[in-house]
Amino acid sequence: MKEKEKITFKRLKDIPPLSISMGTMLWNKTGTWRYLKPVYSSKTPPCNEACPAGNDIEAMMVLVKEGKFREAWKLIKEENPFPGVCGRVCFHPCESSCNRKQYDEALAIQAIERFVADLSFKIYQEKSVGHLKRKEKVAIIGSGPAGLTCAYHLARMGYSVTVFESYSSPGGILRIGIPEYRLPRFVLDREISEIESLGVEIRTNSQIGKDISFDDLKTFQAIFIAVGSHQSKSLGIEGERLEGVMSGLEFLRRVKEKEKIPIGRRVVVIGGGNVAVDVSRSAWRLGAKVQMVCLESKEEMPAFAEEISETEAEGIEIIPSAMPIRITRDRGRSKKIDFVKVKLAEPKPDGSLNPIPIPKTQFTLKADYVVTAIGEVPNLSFLPQEILIEKGLIKADEMGFVHPKGYFAGGDVVNPQHTVAGAIGSGKRAALAIHEYFQGGLLKGKIRMVWVGEKGTISLKKYFHPPEGETNPPVIYFPEINLDYFEHQDRVKIKKIPVENRRGGFKEVSSTVDREEALKEAGRCFNCGVCNGCDNCWVYCPDLAVKKKDDHYEIDYDYCKGCGICFEECPRSAIILMEDRR
Amino acid sequence: MKVVIEWSHAVSQGDLLSRVEVISAYPITPQTHIVERLSELCASGQLKAKFLKVESEHSAMASCIGASAVGARTFTATSSQGIALMHELLHWASGARLPIVMCNVSRALGAPWNIWCDQIDSLSQRDTGWLQFYCESSQEALDTIIQAFKISERISLPSMVVLDAFYLSHTFEPVDIPDQERVDRFLPPYEPKFKIDPKEAKSFSSLTAPDTFTEMRFQIQQSMENAKSIILEVDSEFHKIFGRSYGLVEPYRCEEAEMVLVTSGTVTSTCREVIDQYRNDGKRIGLLKIRTVRPFPTEAIRENLRGVPKVAVIDRNISFGMGGIFAEEVRSVLCNEPERPLIFGYVAGLGGRDITQNTISNVIEYSLEQDQPREDVLWPDLRR
Repeated sequence: MKEKEKITFKRLKDIPPLSISMGTMLWNKTGTWRYLKPVYSSKTPPCNEACPAGNDIEAMMVLVKEGKFREAWKLIKEENPFPGVCGRVCFHPCESSCNRKQYDEALAIQAIERFVADLSFKIYQEKSVGHLKRKEKVAIIGSGPAGLTCAYHLARMGYSVTVFESYSSPGGILRIGIPEYRLPRFVLDREISEIESLGVEIRTNSQIGKDISFDDLKTFQAIFIAVGSHQSKSLGIEGERLEGVMSGLEFLRRVKEKEKIPIGRRVVVIGGGNVAVDVSRSAWRLGAKVQMVCLESKEEMPAFAEEISETEAEGIEIIPSAMPIRITRDRGRSKKIDFVKVKLAEPKPDGSLNPIPIPKTQFTLKADYVVTAIGEVPNLSFLPQEILIEKGLIKADEMGFVHPKGYFAGGDVVNPQHTVAGAIGSGKRAALAIHEYFQGGLLKGKIRMVWVGEKGTISLKKYFHPPEGETNPPVIYFPEINLDYFEHQDRVKIKKIPVENRRGGFKEVSSTVDREEALKEAGRCFNCGVCNGCDNCWVYCPDLAVKKKDDHYEIDYDYCKGCGICFEECPRSAIILMEDRR
Repeated sequence: MKVVIEWSHAVSQGDLLSRVEVISAYPITPQTHIVERLSELCASGQLKAKFLKVESEHSAMASCIGASAVGARTFTATSSQGIALMHELLHWASGARLPIVMCNVSRALGAPWNIWCDQIDSLSQRDTGWLQFYCESSQEALDTIIQAFKISERISLPSMVVLDAFYLSHTFEPVDIPDQERVDRFLPPYEPKFKIDPKEAKSFSSLTAPDTFTEMRFQIQQSMENAKSIILEVDSEFHKIFGRSYGLVEPYRCEEAEMVLVTSGTVTSTCREVIDQYRNDGKRIGLLKIRTVRPFPTEAIRENLRGVPKVAVIDRNISFGMGGIFAEEVRSVLCNEPERPLIFGYVAGLGGRDITQNTISNVIEYSLEQDQPREDVLWPDLRR
């Protein structure tokens, strides 16, 4: 009997005594009844959109959940050379936008990234091998997260890259600004060594404008400027230049260099940002009693909330809403710092804070050492005049193109929000911009194709392996998740060393989750908007129209009646139901 | 071997001897003793059957349908509200041509609550495509269970064996228990023509379009018609082995009768005694017991009542707005007969009221006296 042949009974005696299939019903193409059509269509998970570095977080969770840690590590490395760093110091906007946050708790994405990065180092030891094939040479000024990320991606694309670093070792702010208890040296070293193994040359002690002239760089076909912001803003008050008054970045650098700093018993830190927090917690570890004073109220402080809570847990006093007036000598090394309480008015036209002193609220603190950390700005004095600077930042477009041609910029020199992930993202965008520049294109029009969501983060995986279908599908939000398929489950608790054991050293505070914790935590991922092969559609399709094909599903539209059950029962909205116009 | 057992247990014994493979049932008075006994037989290992405990009669019948569809000899028992709850699945079982055997212990349906004998529960299911056997004694109940499996499996339709509540279900009497070896000879294992088999996947009972549906209904009607001769064939085969037979109907002392009582179930036994008294007094009164309601023994009734001037039908049921169901059916099969008797329809013994010899005498006397029934539905035991 032919499969699709319809059987017609001609006589009563041909008809079986009960309704039983004699052939198949394949002749009956019930798909013709359809007016709605389900289509597998991935959405953009909100974590992916939120990640400034452009990590495919959702896909990473699938791999981790399956125990494919090596593949997970390789996947991150497609976009970001610094999973070990980001797994520790990123402000994880991915977690803030995690849909699961509205169900129980956000997924501990950062902890999983850190686990994958640490495990890869322990087990895989896989060194990338560079393929230097292309003729163009690129100079990168600055070996911070932006510069090294740009170098990494360009090297992977086959360009020869030279990075110029003024300091004696590479890493920029990661090396000299982030304290050891948050980012141990070895983590940075291993990730930089992986970049170097691609053939990237890093020239340390090579400050442009001092050790090497800017003109010497003109032998390179493209120059990426990513010198970061290492110039501390000054308070502009009396006593700022007294001995025992130091800027935040300088203090942090000396601590990391293990230089002896005569901080005495009492330290006052002025500032409310992350640098001020790092300074306070470092000084506390060196044994001082630390007070941190900032203009903002606690809620307005620019430092990350998690950092603030750790600061307070360590017993550091935060005095909010106060402005320093003057620093004067007290007896011996001791200094007096006069403050006045303030209220913040609407910001000034240039965006800076606008504190209004409250009369008769002056107070004085005594300290042996004062550190000021009220913000950092880039030092761009070495640049030729042809490169435009606006409000202290290099004028660049969203991809890092700078006028005139051949110049590119990224990291803190273009972005006032100084974040590691942001710098990594801008280094990556610049790498793509430089590549397009060499290819003769200017990326116009193409840029949206590599966007992940609408916040400007990009995916190089998308650039080199364009996905089938929609290149940048809409972001999926919480109400689209079918919660019937998820049970409440606690977020992994990250172990931290007790506060009493933190003083007197710079041992890393938080630890890496273990294998079981990582597997369990990755299992909490909703996999928002992306098919993870859960089989729900396949199980529920009443017409058996969902077929399994290798690693995905296909719908047999000859028989799909468009009932929409697959669409309804997909836990993660990876199926859309559209009008079928025929 | 004759033993004194409860009539309910005679039914269970019938299942044991029939080597039932799946039983699914839900307890309800007065049926419970049947499945209680079966569950004990399963538990002790005497009966190698799967006993499915379910949460309702609807599920019981659904399980039976599934079990029968895979080719298992399947049994259930119920009563009253229980069989009413099964209703839609009773249609399904017959439409799917499944030879399930069910024992229904006839009991009134509420409201008001009443747990006693009344035939309305099974007669309400008259049109579901099940064969219906109404039993008079526990011997007949046991024998009919065994016969029903054979008949049902031959014609691919389910059978209902009906017992009067308490009069039959809860009374003890001597029953001749056939030996297993002879039952096995009479009733071989069930071998379905079609069954659900994972090795040969097919879809069952799926959508059947108007171009075939009429033919499939016609086939069921044909099977029901054929069932009459098959019941008699099986009955005579049974007689050869066990020495007992029951037929579709049983005429009792109908020779040259001027009036014949038509009965079903246990009241028949009471009537036999009354008839004997009348015959002893020289009055020509006869009795016709109807054993099968579906298929309805049209020909046998026509033949037995041909030339009889008067017929009195006793119904232990009432179809509101019409009357007793047996009377209605008897009238309908006789209406085209050239010499049709005058038919008196009596409704009596509802909800467990005893139909005494006195009531039966009143029925006979009234029927003899009247030239015409004054009403289509007569109520001989109504307290006016």
